[in-house]
Amino acid sequence: MIKITEIAREKVLAAMEAEKRERQALRVTVKNGGTVNVQYGLMFDEEAKKEPNDAVVDGGGFNLLIDAKSVPFLEEATVDYVSNLNGSGFKITTPAAPELPTPDLSTPEAQAVQKVIIEKINPGVASHGGNVTLVDVKDGMAYLRLGGGCQGCGMVDVTLKQGIEVMIKESVPAIKGVLDITDHAGGSNPYYQPSK
Amino acid sequence: MAARRIGVEVVVGSNRRQVLEDYSHGGTLTLNFRDTEIGTQQIVDYAKEHALEAIVSVDDEALVLAAKASSVLGLPHNSLESIFSIRNKFRMREKIFKAGLPSPEFHLFSIHKNPEQLSSQVNFPCVLKPTFLAASRGVIRANHPKEFKQAFHRIKSILKDPEVKSLGGESADEILVEDYIPGQEVALEGLMMKGELQVLALFDKPDPLEGPFFEETIYVTPSRLPPFVQEQVVQNIFRSAQALGLMEGPIHAELRFNENGSWLVELSPRTIGGLCSRTLRFGTGLTLEEIVLRHALRLPINSMEREKKASGVMMIPIPKSGILKKITGKEKAKKVLGVEEVSFLIPTGQQVISLPEGHRYLGFIFARGETPAQVESSLREAHRNLEILIDPA
Repeated sequence: MIKITEIAREKVLAAMEAEKRERQALRVTVKNGGTVNVQYGLMFDEEAKKEPNDAVVDGGGFNLLIDAKSVPFLEEATVDYVSNLNGSGFKITTPAAPELPTPDLSTPEAQAVQKVIIEKINPGVASHGGNVTLVDVKDGMAYLRLGGGCQGCGMVDVTLKQGIEVMIKESVPAIKGVLDITDHAGGSNPYYQPSK
Repeated sequence: MAARRIGVEVVVGSNRRQVLEDYSHGGTLTLNFRDTEIGTQQIVDYAKEHALEAIVSVDDEALVLAAKASSVLGLPHNSLESIFSIRNKFRMREKIFKAGLPSPEFHLFSIHKNPEQLSSQVNFPCVLKPTFLAASRGVIRANHPKEFKQAFHRIKSILKDPEVKSLGGESADEILVEDYIPGQEVALEGLMMKGELQVLALFDKPDPLEGPFFEETIYVTPSRLPPFVQEQVVQNIFRSAQALGLMEGPIHAELRFNENGSWLVELSPRTIGGLCSRTLRFGTGLTLEEIVLRHALRLPINSMEREKKASGVMMIPIPKSGILKKITGKEKAKKVLGVEEVSFLIPTGQQVISLPEGHRYLGFIFARGETPAQVESSLREAHRNLEILIDPA
């Protein structure tokens, strides 16, 4: 389970005291867990707002709260506090999800895909409130994240394979295909509801 | 995906316009499903510039259009008469009865009639259902006249929904009432080839489906029924498909059996619904969709033998209607031995509707194992790990 370094613990306690956050806990969140775009978050939260399925970890003077969905992504994670030339702040690292290299979107292929998305695809899907983001280009595959009306849309597979992929491959022959890394279950406003 | 694996081009015809259709170079086509004359003309016009080799309907709604367009274009298809019969549960019952196959007593009533008077014409317990809806939508058991009246009004209100009315046309003014058939239910996935039935999978449905609503939950294959019962089931479905005039293509059938024999509940010339086909793998890894496409395109199919392992799916029940607030335990459910996938189709924050009004699955759990009992156990354990919080709307 998640650990907190001594310096991070002291920083949390100091912040709690300075901001008069008695009876509060430190909530740890994970967004896009298991993907190249994983994002960790830390925030103070009322102990009373603890959900029944939240995991609770003793941080030494306060509790760490983790929602059930995020628990698997925080196995053996460490909350640290780091200071360097770029500044200082809390940092979460996990052996299960080591720091991933930032995708290189400056390559000619990535730039060309980006151009198609900006100039053709996004203006097209905008009519359904959707948007497409290029996440990475690797081994001839373009990794995409779909948002807005595309996220969770009942027609998303068709949009992806019969529309987006066709347009990208046509403009960037080096691309062999597209892969969708969207969490479609998280879509809150899909344009078409899945029919079943 | 199946078409890509086979290496054929596919055009997706849908009644929902694809947002990038103008850029798809004929890869998508918006069709009128409700007015099949217009829809057929749209396909015929498309075929003038793009050679079509087969038209496959992936759900009930497009069956008539696919058959009509195939007929006009001279492509292989089941007869329009058979498709018309199947699209209406009353007409299907009539065909099965006339073929001398076991049939419950059935009646077709107008929704404008007085249910109190109608209840004197039926046997109890009975099942009331719309003639054209799928996924158990609007199917209600009634044990006595009071329940009959309640069920009748509830279905009437479903049928008055503008979208449902538009889908059903004149059929939205009718309710089919059948004698309730007690017994265990099974589902069969098959392929009709030159009028012969090739069984692809026989699923047990281990949860009792006794009403008042008939929510699908667990499907597990291979069936644990004694071979002679399985044979009886297969024979009934084959004879039913023949009686309905189905010669080619996929069929999905549901059937009950008891001490008096086997009784067809539903039969449709399409594959199993939702994501359930993910439970099936054949030969060297073929999916159900690949088999259907290969058959439609007259391509060779090396083997239609299902994999050796047992497999199953749970259509995750919707406990009540409301706003889906939160689902917890998904990761734990995924870690249950044998579980391969836990997928939810309805995002949190959206409305969920339970039966009999509902028509969308909340999600699916898929599992594989050495035996059907293991698979069933994995599905149940995974489901126990899920907590589905729904706020009343």
